[in-house]
Amino acid sequence: MAACAPSFRDPAGICLCFQRRVLRFVTAEAVAEFENFLHSRLAQEFLAAKKIISTRRLTDGETTPLREEPELKPRFAAQPGGSVYEHERIPFASYAHEWPPEMLCAAGRLTLELARTALTDGFGLKDATPGNILFRGHEPVFVDTPSFERRDPRDAIWKAHAQFVRTFLLPLLASRRWGLRLADIFTTRRDGLEPEEIYRLCGPFEKFHPRLLPLVSLPTWLSRRADPDDQKIYQPHLLADAEKAQFILESLFRRLERALTAQEPAGQKSAWSDYMTTHSYGDPAFTAKEQFVRAALEEFKPARVLDAGANTGHFSALAARTGAAVMAVDIDPVCVGAIWRRARQEKLDLLPLVVDLARPSPALGWRNRECASFLDRAAGNFDGVLMLALIHHLLVTERIPLTEILQLAAQLTTRLLVVEFVPPQDAMFRRLTRGRDQLHAQLNVHQFEQACQPYFEIMRFLDLPGTHRRLYCLKRKAGVA
Amino acid sequence: MMLAYVDPGLGMLIWQTIVAVAVGLLFYLKKIRRAIFGFCLKIIGRKTKVTIGSSSVPAQKAAKVEREVKMR
Repeated sequence: MAACAPSFRDPAGICLCFQRRVLRFVTAEAVAEFENFLHSRLAQEFLAAKKIISTRRLTDGETTPLREEPELKPRFAAQPGGSVYEHERIPFASYAHEWPPEMLCAAGRLTLELARTALTDGFGLKDATPGNILFRGHEPVFVDTPSFERRDPRDAIWKAHAQFVRTFLLPLLASRRWGLRLADIFTTRRDGLEPEEIYRLCGPFEKFHPRLLPLVSLPTWLSRRADPDDQKIYQPHLLADAEKAQFILESLFRRLERALTAQEPAGQKSAWSDYMTTHSYGDPAFTAKEQFVRAALEEFKPARVLDAGANTGHFSALAARTGAAVMAVDIDPVCVGAIWRRARQEKLDLLPLVVDLARPSPALGWRNRECASFLDRAAGNFDGVLMLALIHHLLVTERIPLTEILQLAAQLTTRLLVVEFVPPQDAMFRRLTRGRDQLHAQLNVHQFEQACQPYFEIMRFLDLPGTHRRLYCLKRKAGVA
Repeated sequence: MMLAYVDPGLGMLIWQTIVAVAVGLLFYLKKIRRAIFGFCLKIIGRKTKVTIGSSSVPAQKAAKVEREVKMR
């Protein structure tokens, strides 16, 4: 099974990928509730605004062949009387550990917007985690539709509040205040950060900071004083007045929105965020590079492009403007955040992710099946790959052999590869070698072209004027394993 | 019925409950304020009523009637 089971914790059912279809098995007890939401005016509005994923119930005729599938038989056996639904497939599933803070913030904003809007229609969100959100291009989409349930109108407590704080607000706060990467937080913690973990990072005066007090210090102090065995705390306390309950929840959502805005990433800088203004190309070389890449994209017309080592997304945006759905990956969250802002501003079909190609996101979660690894998701998913000013970083900094890099490129693209060869005499190459020039003394265009031969056919190349660099337009050979 | 399966936290849940109580009080204060405001408006409305001919109408309506009379 192409493994993804992002929702098996929900007692209402599980979700899995089967033969590139996203199927949701809903238990008999939860079907009525789910149908109730799907047919509500609220769901139709969210769907029209593309804020939730489209979902349809499979007919008996469509379900019968699935019952015969050996991989699905246990699912049907475990949920007799349940129903099967099919979700729209988002082209590329991404996870919070691959997002820059900007995207986590956008996902949190969507979660709050849906929860607040649902409130007036009598629905509630029973969980609030980044796992409920995927990105269609740069736009967040809520995918865990069974999270919507009829709420008791007299209940003034949002049970998912703590989860929202743990998985959205505290990671954003830690990222903004202490520069913690979301990858470091979410690859090791499914449910985000506990207030107690952040409390330990705070200095004595920081604990009284107005932004930290309600999210970190007060919950920590209260949990220390509370009796952990007192089950009364967790019992629902229903109010007599439904209007009052709604007033309290609306106020809670407004406060959370303000807290989210306060944690919104400010325009940060990193070692790579100014690369487009400080790079070593002269204007003629950069213009020639742009023209070469554009010509390759126009000739091959790839539908799905991966820009590996995208920096601030200049060439990703160029590819998106040719009509391709683009995914831009870079190691630097500040650069990836800038790409996301650009994609949103220019309304580009562009999904930016924080991925280090030398250490791509591993498979995570229960039995390593909840989040597929980056390469499992990416392999063969693109018919165009850009590797511009990237190879020397992999060769020198990461010590990856050239043939390995080209093998990976052949694994990622099904057709086109535009690659920039940076020779050892290049200033940027030498800056990376730090005196280890001897290690790469043999590397030249002939060696590079030879290494390409098993996987790619060289369509054309261009020596960038005023530099030692050469751009290649390569076509993947058929039958390469 | 909400099938809440997520960890509601301990300190966070207590804090949410405390804030909910405070906001609940605010709800009543707002209701009282609204009632007082409504009462005051009612009284002000009565005072600004003017007499046109033999009938008593609010000031706004009276002004409208006066404008129509002038136009004729």
